[in-house]
Amino acid sequence: MGRGYVVEAVVEKYFSSLEAGSAAFTTGLLIGQSSPQRDYVVLPTKTPQRGTESSSGALDDVDIEWVTEHAKQVSRMLPGGLSVLGVFMIVLPELSKEAMNTLRKLVFAVDKYLTKGTLWDGTDEDVTERVALQICSKTRKVVCKTFDVKDPKSSAKPADWKYQSGVSSSWPVVTCSVRLDLRLPVLDRSSEEKHKSIKEGLQRWAKRIIASTCLINGKVMAPEAELVAGQKRNPKLGQQKFQAQVLLPPMETQLESSVCVAAQPSPSVVIRGQVSCRAYVHSNKPKAGQAMEAIKRDIVNTVSCRVDMLFDDLYMDQAEDRGAAEGQQCLPLRVFAPVPEAGFCVCDYMFPDESVAEVAEHLQEMLDCSVTEESICSGLEVSHVEPSTPAPAPAPTHGTGIHQEDTPPHLQTEAPKDVPKKQKNFGYFVGVVVAGGVAVLAAVTSLLYLGE
Amino acid sequence: MAPSDTTVIFRVCGSLEFSCWLENSNVLQSQKSVSTAFNDLRAKVREESLVFHVCNSPLFIWPNQDCQATAGNVTANTPCGELQKHIEVEDWNGGGKKKRKDKKNVLTVINLTLMAEVTVPGEENCPAPYLSTDKKRHSLSMILPMDCVISTAADESLVIVCERLIGALCCQLSDMKEVVTQHMKGTAIPVPQPLHFMLPEPNGLVSVVHPANIPDSQLESYRKELHKKYNLPEDRPYFRRANAFQFPDQPYKDGYLRNPHEHLNHPNLEGANLYLVQGVYSYHHYMQDRVDDNGWGCAYRSLQTICSWFQQQGYVERAVPTHKEIQQALVDVGDKPAAFVGSRQWIGSIEVQAVLDQLLKVTSKIMFVSQGSELATKGRELANHFETEGTPVMIGGGVLAHTILGVAWSESSGEIRYLILDPHYTGGEDLQTIIEKGWCGWKGPDFWDQQAYYNLCLPQRPKTI
Repeated sequence: MGRGYVVEAVVEKYFSSLEAGSAAFTTGLLIGQSSPQRDYVVLPTKTPQRGTESSSGALDDVDIEWVTEHAKQVSRMLPGGLSVLGVFMIVLPELSKEAMNTLRKLVFAVDKYLTKGTLWDGTDEDVTERVALQICSKTRKVVCKTFDVKDPKSSAKPADWKYQSGVSSSWPVVTCSVRLDLRLPVLDRSSEEKHKSIKEGLQRWAKRIIASTCLINGKVMAPEAELVAGQKRNPKLGQQKFQAQVLLPPMETQLESSVCVAAQPSPSVVIRGQVSCRAYVHSNKPKAGQAMEAIKRDIVNTVSCRVDMLFDDLYMDQAEDRGAAEGQQCLPLRVFAPVPEAGFCVCDYMFPDESVAEVAEHLQEMLDCSVTEESICSGLEVSHVEPSTPAPAPAPTHGTGIHQEDTPPHLQTEAPKDVPKKQKNFGYFVGVVVAGGVAVLAAVTSLLYLGE
Repeated sequence: MAPSDTTVIFRVCGSLEFSCWLENSNVLQSQKSVSTAFNDLRAKVREESLVFHVCNSPLFIWPNQDCQATAGNVTANTPCGELQKHIEVEDWNGGGKKKRKDKKNVLTVINLTLMAEVTVPGEENCPAPYLSTDKKRHSLSMILPMDCVISTAADESLVIVCERLIGALCCQLSDMKEVVTQHMKGTAIPVPQPLHFMLPEPNGLVSVVHPANIPDSQLESYRKELHKKYNLPEDRPYFRRANAFQFPDQPYKDGYLRNPHEHLNHPNLEGANLYLVQGVYSYHHYMQDRVDDNGWGCAYRSLQTICSWFQQQGYVERAVPTHKEIQQALVDVGDKPAAFVGSRQWIGSIEVQAVLDQLLKVTSKIMFVSQGSELATKGRELANHFETEGTPVMIGGGVLAHTILGVAWSESSGEIRYLILDPHYTGGEDLQTIIEKGWCGWKGPDFWDQQAYYNLCLPQRPKTI
C-alpha cells in the first residue's frame, strides 16, 4: 500500500506531447501539493533545453545539476502550498532498466538542493516521500514509485498514479499582505558574507513567523479543524478565499543580562515594505492547520527568495563597476499569473526595470506555461519611493526616528542607485551558480561596499 | 480604587524592540538618541497593528482599532469583566482541591499578552519592499520587558480599559526612558525592569521601573523620591524588589506556603480586635529542606519563619538561614562553642535574638513571663507589637517553641486568643491539612503550659526604606 497520487488530467496530455519527441529521454518536474493522505499533482514542467548540446542517448547525460537548478527556479515561482513533488522522465524502452536509478538520483538531488535554501525547518507532519515517475516513450506505460528523501537508504516504494479532471479547480486560496520592518546586523566584508548574515537574521525572523498565531477570516481556528467546515463542495461557488492575519508573539526577554551594551560598530541592513502572500490548499476536507502552515511558509519564502534574487543579481553584476552600493536597493516585486485550465496561480518576480512581457517569457521557459500578458496580475505590489517612514507611526520631531543624523536613503527622490540590469535567462542564472566563489568577486566587492 | 468584589486587575505583558544608535564620545547625543527611540515606541504602541491576546482564551483584541475582536460578542462597549467568560481556566492549585473560603480574598486578574500583527488589511498597492544598508555606528538593541497593570471596575467598558492599558504602556515607556537616561554609561544602558507594588490605600497597585543592574542598596534616593510621591512614611520599605506584588496566579517557585493564616476564620470574640502580623512570611516547619530536625528544631524553624518575613518585606536580601548557618552565627558571636555546629541542640529566645542581630542586623525585645498563665495578661503588649512592628513573634518555654502571628484581644474583657504557627508539623506543604489540623490556628490561653516560664522574642523593624 503506497502513496496515492491524484493527477490533473492535463498532465497526461502533456506527457503525450513530450513523448512525440525524438530525444532519448526527457526529464521534468512534477508540481503539486502533499497531504498526509495523498498527493495532488497539478502542473508538470519539462527541464528546459541547455544550449544546443545533443545527448548521446545515454542516461549518464542527464545533467543532475541542471535539473536541480531548474527545480530551484521553479520553486521560487510557486505560491504557498505548492511545491516540487518529484521528477518525471520519459525514456526510450531500451533505457528503461536504468531509468529508475537515475530518477532516484534526481529525486534526492532536487530535495537536497531545495532544502538547503529554506529558512524554515520541516515538521513531523511533512510528507517526505517524493515521486519518481518513469514513462515509456513507446508504450506510454507509467511506472510510479516513491522515495523517502529523509532516508538515504530508502528504496523505491510502489505508488498509485491516477488521473482525474478538475483536481485544482476548486482549491481554496489563503491570502495576506505582510508588512516588513526588519533590522538585521550584517557582516559586509563581501557580498557573500552580507548575504549570509542577512539570511541568518531572516532565519530568526522566520522562526517567529512560523511560531506566530494565524487567524483565518478573523477567527481563531484549531489546527485540526476543517478549513471549510460545514459546507458542501459546490463547484459553482467558485474559489473560496480566506484572509489570513499573522500575529507575532512577544520576543523572549533576556532575563540573564541586566545591562545592555552596544555592539561594536557594525553595519546593519533594514528591510522594509510590504509583500503579498498567497497559499493554496487542496479541496478534499483540508485542515485549518495546513492552510496556516502554507501561508506562513509562503511569507518566509517570498522574502527569502527576493533577497536571494537581489544578491544573485549583485554577483552577476560584479563585472561592472557599480560604485558604492549602499543606500536603498529595491527588492523585486511579486506578480501572480493564473495557470490555464487550473484553479491556482503561479508567481514570478520583477525588478523595477522589467515588464510583464519578460514574466510571460520566464513562465514559459520555466514552467512550460503559456500565460498572456493581460492575465498577469501585477497591481498587488507597487514600486514607488516612500516619501516618509514606511511604518505608519507618526514620529514626533524627526521623520525618521533612529536615522536622525542621516538624510535617510529612502528620502532621495530619484530612483535608487543600483537598478540592476538583468536578463532573466536561465543560462545566465546557472552561470551565477557555477561562478559562485570566484576571486573576481573579492576584488569588486570592496568597491561595492565602501562605507560613506 | 478600593478593591471590592467587582474590581478586576488587567495585566498586560510583552516585549517591545528597542534600538538606537550610540556615540561613545558624545553623551548628549546618545541620550537624545535613547530618548527618541523611546518616543518612537510610544507612538508604536498606538499603532493599529498592536494586539492584546487574552491569555488562555481564543480572544484577540485590537485596542487601537476600536476594540475589534475575534469573538463577535465582544465589542468596545462590552463590560470588561465579561472577558472572563472566554478564558479557559487551568486549575493551578493542582489536585482539584477547592480552597474553601478563599474566594473572598482572591483578586481577579485578567492577563493579556502584547502581540503585533504583521499582516495589513487590503491587498492592493503594497509599497514595494526594499533593502537598505546603514552606516557603521554603535548599534544597541534591547528587548524591553513590558508589564503594566490597571485596576478597574468589572462593569467598565472594554474601550476605556484598552485606552487605559495603552496609556499605561506609554507611561511605562516614559518611566523607562527616565531610568535609562539617568543610569546609562557610555554605550552601556541598564535593562529597565518594571515591578508592581501594592501600596496602602488610596494608592493601590502602582508600577515602578527599576534599573536591573543596580541593587536595592544603591537605590535609596530613588526610593525616597517614590515615598514622597506616594505620601508614604519613610520608616518602612515599600519599593524594594522583595516588596514586589505577587500576583495570585503566579505560584511561588520555592514551594513554601505563604501566609497560611489568611485562610482561617478568625475568632468571634466579643469586643475584641484583631492584631495580626503585617506582610508576608513563609511557613517553616520540621522536616523541610531534607533536614530531619524532628524533636529539636522547632525554635530554628520559628527563627526561619521570622527571617523569611524580613526578607520578603525587603529589609534583608540574604536567604533564610539553614540550621547550620544559624548555629555558626551563634558560634561567631561567642555564644556557643565550635562543636555546636552540626549538633541537635535546642535554642531559645535569647539565641533567636542573637542570630537575628548577627545575621540580619535586626534587634529584638525579650519578654519574660514566669508562668504560662501570665500570658493571658500580655494582651496589650502583644497587640501593640503587632500594630507597630507587625513582625512574627517567637515564643519558647517548657520544651516547645512556637511562632505567634497575632492576637485577638478585647481591651474591655481582657479575653485573648493567640494565632499560632506551629513548627512541629512534619508533613508536606498541604494547606488544607495545615488549616484543618490546626498547625496554623487560633488557640486559647490554655494552650500554654500554665506552670512553665516563657521567653518571647519580639523582633523590631529597622527604620529604613
